Amino acid sequence: MTDASSEAMERLVGVARDPRAYVGRWRAEHPGGAVLAILPMNFPRELAHAAGALPVIVQDDQQPITEGRALLAEFYCGYTRNLADQVATGRFDLYDAVFTADHCIQLIGATEIARTLKPDTTVFLGMLNSSMNDSWAPAKVTETMAEIRAEIERFTGNPVGPDALRQSIEACNRDRRLIRQLLDTRSAGEAALSPVELQDIIVSSMVMDPVEHHALLLEALAGLHGTERDDRVRVHLSGHLCHAPRRELLEVIEDSGAIVVDDDLYHGRRYLSTDVAEDGDPIAALAGWYARRNVTIPCPTRVQQDADWDVYLLDAVRHSGAEAVIHLVPKFCEPHMLYYPELRKALDAADVPQLQLETEHEGMPLESFRTRIEALVERALRRRPVHV
Amino acid sequence: MLGSIEKPVEDKSNRLGMTRVGGRMIADYWDDLFTARERGKKIVWYNGGALNPMFQAAGLAWCHGEAFAARLAAQRLEGPAQLAGAEYGYNAELCSYSRTHLGCSVLTLQGTEGDQTGVVGVHDQEVLAAKLPAPDFFVNNYAGCSTGQQWDGISYRVFGKELPIFNISHPFLWGNKPDSGYLRGEEWETASRFVADQLRELIGFLENQTGRPFDYDALSESMTYIKRAGELRREGLDLCKAKPAPATFWDWIASVAPINFLPGNQALVDYFADVRDEIQGRIDNGVSAVKDEKYRLYFDGIMNWNKLGYLSRKFAEHGVAVLAGRYIQNAFWQEPHLIDTSDPILGMAQHYLLCPTNHGAKTLEYLTLRDCEEYGLDGLVFHSTRTCRAFTGPQRLLARSAQDKLGIPSIFFEGDVADASFYKDGILESRLVAMLEAIDVRRERGSLPDGFSAFA
Repeated sequence: MTDASSEAMERLVGVARDPRAYVGRWRAEHPGGAVLAILPMNFPRELAHAAGALPVIVQDDQQPITEGRALLAEFYCGYTRNLADQVATGRFDLYDAVFTADHCIQLIGATEIARTLKPDTTVFLGMLNSSMNDSWAPAKVTETMAEIRAEIERFTGNPVGPDALRQSIEACNRDRRLIRQLLDTRSAGEAALSPVELQDIIVSSMVMDPVEHHALLLEALAGLHGTERDDRVRVHLSGHLCHAPRRELLEVIEDSGAIVVDDDLYHGRRYLSTDVAEDGDPIAALAGWYARRNVTIPCPTRVQQDADWDVYLLDAVRHSGAEAVIHLVPKFCEPHMLYYPELRKALDAADVPQLQLETEHEGMPLESFRTRIEALVERALRRRPVHV
Repeated sequence: MLGSIEKPVEDKSNRLGMTRVGGRMIADYWDDLFTARERGKKIVWYNGGALNPMFQAAGLAWCHGEAFAARLAAQRLEGPAQLAGAEYGYNAELCSYSRTHLGCSVLTLQGTEGDQTGVVGVHDQEVLAAKLPAPDFFVNNYAGCSTGQQWDGISYRVFGKELPIFNISHPFLWGNKPDSGYLRGEEWETASRFVADQLRELIGFLENQTGRPFDYDALSESMTYIKRAGELRREGLDLCKAKPAPATFWDWIASVAPINFLPGNQALVDYFADVRDEIQGRIDNGVSAVKDEKYRLYFDGIMNWNKLGYLSRKFAEHGVAVLAGRYIQNAFWQEPHLIDTSDPILGMAQHYLLCPTNHGAKTLEYLTLRDCEEYGLDGLVFHSTRTCRAFTGPQRLLARSAQDKLGIPSIFFEGDVADASFYKDGILESRLVAMLEAIDVRRERGSLPDGFSAFA
């Protein structure tokens, strides 16, 4: 990397690790601009961006949960308990409003904490129809997208016209495409960026203005030289539907003789999988994007009879040449727990070695994970053809 | 201690006699379902809101997944299904209703395909799987909890993606609009119409599945009985505000199954009329549900089904009448005035939306505090239902509201709907005793707010 690209990469990493500082800078540069807390997994950031707001997908900030423990039960997932803790301890105060579009009962629980503890803050749920095969789903989703737009217009005081929205769609598509290229080249054999670096790039894209992010990422990539994979065991990471796996876990995976070649993580391919159509009515385009996302990479939080996560996973494994799959299941994530046996069955039938790791917000047994990953690596290595 | 003999605790609970009648009605219903296929009936598996009047009018036999899981747990027969589910890959932290029911699916398939895995015994499979007939199709009607919809989506996959499935989507009643509130506002009206439209679509689906035109008159007739049963249930619930209480939350828990999935007919109306009359008779004759009632409490959470009898005795032992709860007062055809029996679709849709896990915390606060006041309650017990994130989500907020706005205390204890392993008796015992002592102290100091004075 050149000095300039290293510096750009450092800035991306800085945003990913400390979104608060970026928000502070953005506010200084955009006096009066609204900063919206966006909750995963399908909220159309384009609508907020078109209104001149900064839509920040709220990250699990990896802080220990303290006061949040008194607000949500300990058997809620780590991300939602972390959100409750961010609210309770004032770490959520940097946002002017909260917008969410997904019906996950645990996420709704955390959102209720924000609404109750911050009664003067707008906390909006524009619930996207999650049963994708319903004949009424397309119209309902389009209607909900329009409701979200109306609420954002009401909150920011800025109209979201079709031209502004198209520009935001184009900006977000551009940024998505650029990051997706990195993931595609990784699947094809490129190993220049580690999973932690890729995660930092994706997290920063969830936090930053997409135009600014795209420019900075281009700068960071300018000095990047291709690096071929070594002979570590190629693994696909699957799961973590709405928050990032811990960086130290990604490091342990690659320290244990594996190399990540693909994933379907939210902080990975899932987030970037699909572009929004740039022609036609932009609200209808956002509705179509929501529907196509679940076809591109099916999500167990949606119900769609003709979209199969297990089929997708097998195809992805074949495409990238992954030799094993590691399922990263956040503890208490019900949609993942429900779907996991279907994934296991499909991979078993295809004779793909796999390992399930249950991740926690705090107290992850990394050394125990290391042993299990090493065992998976050994298993995969024994399957390699022997050359004499 | 070696050699000590535990003194039997006096049972101070006095359960309604009618609940035994309800128990027989429920047993008959399941026996009827277990032989439905032999009688040429098509069978629908469904979850969520009470769609049984639709199925009744369509001439179907129906199996409510949660109800079957709850019944297994109440009979302590849930083990084999949960083992089968675990062997299939379901994590123990997954909703135990879904885990038990999906385990039944696995057993049912093994029963029909003869695939013996060796973990679950043949005898257990005969007891469970052979009795529960496989579905001809699925209908999902889950409001509130996102897991509910996913559960049937997975059942569809477990059965090889070969059976038809119909999903009804329910907007969460979040309260975005300024006029939002319980049974009112633009959000309520819009959501009601949206779900009603889907119910009309469901009728077309049922016609396709049965090959018969839907019998709207039969639906009206069924809903006429259910509306009347709902009214009688409300009358009975209102009678329980008397002091001392003539019946408790536990009696109403025992009557959940009849109102939730038994056919709408005269027998159902008669049952709830008899329940109400028994309660009225107790008031007339000065008979209380708890001997020496001293405290009146609220219970929030889905029932811990394998502890129903135990908990009713446990609370009574401390002189506690548990009188109200989200799962009783705010569930199961609880607003019968919404039902127009000549065209019941909209009122049905509204009841499905009124699932007690489908409200924002503001509405739940309104309902909970209202019931605490109306029943003259001294405190709240929150069943922190381990695998039910939908019910537990707002519980801490509700406890805060009760303390801040009514000045009444709460305790939490952990258990589960259908997995007894999560229940911790010592925790409930110690916390309950501590709260009751605190209530005593406050009574002595006269510090309870108006409407919560010491009750002797």
